[in-house]
Amino acid sequence: MSAQPAPVAETGYPWPIETARLDNGLRVVVSEDRTAPVVAVNLWYDVGSRHEPAGQTGFAHLFEHLMFEGSQNVAKTEHMRYVQGAGGSLNATTNPDRTNYFETLPAEHLELALWLEADRMGGLVPALTQETLDNQREVVKNERRQRYDNVPYGDAWLRMLELLYPAGHPYHHATIGSMEDLNAAGLETFQAFHAKYYAPNNAVLTVAGDVTPGEVFALAEKYFGAIETVANIPAAPSGHLPGPATSPVSETVTGTVPAPRVYLAHRTHPFGTAGYDAITVLATVLGSGRGSRLYQRLADGARIAQPDYIGSYGVDLAHAPAPLIITATAKDGVDIATLTEGVAEVVASMATEPVTEAELERAKALLTTAWWRQMSTVAGRADTLSRYTTQFGDPASAAYRLPQWQSVTSEDIADAARTLNPESRVTLTYLPEGPEA
Amino acid sequence: MSLVATRPEPGEARPYAFPEIRRASVAGGEIVAAHLPGHLLASASLLLDAGAARETAGREGTAGVLAKCLEEGTTTRNSAAYALALEGLGAELSTSVDWDSFRVGLSVPVGVLSRAVALMAEAARTPRLDPADVERVRDDEATALRMDWAQPGPRADAALRADLFGAGERYGRPLSGDPVSTAAVTVEDVTTFHESWLKRPGVLLVAGDLDRLDLEELGAAAFAGSGGDPLPVEGPLGVPVAGARRLLLVDRPGSVQSTLRLGHRAPERAHPDYVPITLAATVLGGAFTSRLNHLIREVKGYTYGIRADFAMTRRFGRFGVSSSVQTAVTAPALTDTVGEIARTQLDGVTEEELSVARTWRAGSLSVDMQTPGSIAGALATLVIHGLPDDYYPTLRKRLLETTAEEVSAAAAQHLHPDALTLVVEGDAALIRDELAAAKLGEIITSEV
Repeated sequence: MSAQPAPVAETGYPWPIETARLDNGLRVVVSEDRTAPVVAVNLWYDVGSRHEPAGQTGFAHLFEHLMFEGSQNVAKTEHMRYVQGAGGSLNATTNPDRTNYFETLPAEHLELALWLEADRMGGLVPALTQETLDNQREVVKNERRQRYDNVPYGDAWLRMLELLYPAGHPYHHATIGSMEDLNAAGLETFQAFHAKYYAPNNAVLTVAGDVTPGEVFALAEKYFGAIETVANIPAAPSGHLPGPATSPVSETVTGTVPAPRVYLAHRTHPFGTAGYDAITVLATVLGSGRGSRLYQRLADGARIAQPDYIGSYGVDLAHAPAPLIITATAKDGVDIATLTEGVAEVVASMATEPVTEAELERAKALLTTAWWRQMSTVAGRADTLSRYTTQFGDPASAAYRLPQWQSVTSEDIADAARTLNPESRVTLTYLPEGPEA
Repeated sequence: MSLVATRPEPGEARPYAFPEIRRASVAGGEIVAAHLPGHLLASASLLLDAGAARETAGREGTAGVLAKCLEEGTTTRNSAAYALALEGLGAELSTSVDWDSFRVGLSVPVGVLSRAVALMAEAARTPRLDPADVERVRDDEATALRMDWAQPGPRADAALRADLFGAGERYGRPLSGDPVSTAAVTVEDVTTFHESWLKRPGVLLVAGDLDRLDLEELGAAAFAGSGGDPLPVEGPLGVPVAGARRLLLVDRPGSVQSTLRLGHRAPERAHPDYVPITLAATVLGGAFTSRLNHLIREVKGYTYGIRADFAMTRRFGRFGVSSSVQTAVTAPALTDTVGEIARTQLDGVTEEELSVARTWRAGSLSVDMQTPGSIAGALATLVIHGLPDDYYPTLRKRLLETTAEEVSAAAAQHLHPDALTLVVEGDAALIRDELAAAKLGEIITSEV
């Protein structure tokens, strides 16, 4: 029995969008929605680990920490206290492409959030002390230990980036960076980093929720208007690559892991391109959910892979061909060669066995639900609009992503699959120490 | 022109409202629904009185194996056909087992919710439970737990739980079982658990645009073929307090961090002090600006994060603190943590700290409850703990009106710094002597 497909959406963004640009270059995006008495404030700064030169890895991410430690008119620790004290939730993230800062608050506290964001955009440097820098360096080192070093397979992403992108490429090093680089840099280097990149003309401010565009534009002018434009913001090194990798790369790590695991990875297309939309749908057909090919053939069928640890996904990076990652972990008694060969066969099948209508509809239905889940909070909407403004110059282009996924055909997927050949593949393998290995 | 120097005052507060709740009795079961006009997604969840507490001793993990087996095919279609039918609607089942309930739920575009609920009920009520599938899923679950237990945390959690509730009691064993108890689960354990607890009607929770949903149709699908009476609710377990602090050391050779789990027993969720207890925990270790996070992360730089909370279920509660700290500072981090708990118990909270905790918790009711899935979760809390439909507006009012005296009194009464169990999972060879010198309590080597 095949399911009837979910209705096709004509737009992925059925809420209003209004934009303005302050004289200093800050782009402001507003999406009004009166459903709940909350607002989301979201800022994307067009600076990520891809901007970091050799010897300064980890700077963009450490900076994200420093942005919570006080600014000209906000004492150390007050930022968090004010937002949480207003009933809000807040956080920030850094990735290779960009750094984002965001909070969701009861609507009557919008002005507080804008004041805080403006103060740390325009007034961070005078407040940055050696003591704060030293403390946050230690916090980041603990973050690295907790997330990457003390966890089985925890360093897989770090290793894959180095294998996927050549030395010197902006995606070659991981965002968490090198602890040696962080130790070596002084206060002035970090102050200079802020002065260079944290500029109104290098940022997008989005507000979504219970507020009118007019109110937001006036408040943006009031709080951000005084911040000066920064001239000559250095561009990131070019992410251009002449094409897919031309020879396979493999690495094997033997360590304290509970079972053999393999990652296959390919450089594909930048996020936002038709090629990457095809990869997104392909990854869903191949490795998302119990109805996916990997699950059906290796976890359920051949039963060589652990069902909870099999899948494939793209990493949505926009400034160079983005990675597609495929992973599986061996069941007890299954050797790594059998597992790796099994995964490679399923990947190859994407080119040789046409994707069926049912497979395609399943993938599109899952992507549709995922899209609406992202849109179900004002914070999810605000982050999406900031992304499309930063990366594609137009928040309204967010509306096209869902229809573009829905228009991907089985031929598009077969074309994309033909580029995933073993000659351009990164293979990262983990083996347990001891007799099992 | 320059930056605005003074913090702006808040505007006029929008009135708070929880979505309109509708209740209905349909086909022998109860529906509790929240109306979310205009929402494109809708959520449904079948709430069954079949929590982990109902598992047999030595077979902890049975409910988790059953939860996974629900998608291994039904009496009318095999697992591949089921996956295609469900995922073809854009739905994925989320199953969860806690101490009080077994839940099967999903979120989908509102137009396909009724078809998704019919498939959800088919899995929950009529799973195939083929013996060979059950055994395979059981083995996979045991392997998955072994993977999980290779990470820092689960062993420390298990050591704490056993110490607080007794290794021989169900509440003293891990919620999801451990690799050994899960491996011991039999086909009969799983089929008996299903037969005994998942065929009762339970409660269907719905959150979505009710103008586009037919509750009768949803209920008819959810309760088809179910029967039996609601189960009696057993009373709270009480709050025994240990005579002295003790430190359980769980060895993890080569660990570059020490995982800390501190705790003691606490009252159940329905306790009248729930609001002041929650606010005390927020000041101590809930908010980012909490006493613990401020001292251990922001001042000392020992950790990426530390938090304290009261976890409260229908029959018991426990106070707990969790963190991971760099190995070299294990003893001072632990000493500082115990010190902050003791200070909070002794001196209570300040009005300044409390004002942040109050408005944060109250504001979170709007900020955290935007999606149909989170609203359905809020409905589950009402049902499990027997709370009235106006509970959330009342809770918000109480959070905002509770005084520093009330919160300090709750901290004095419900925190027991001298009765804490301190679990440290780390490289014992590197930290044992230092922990002994810190004199935090008798050191016991845990064999979890």
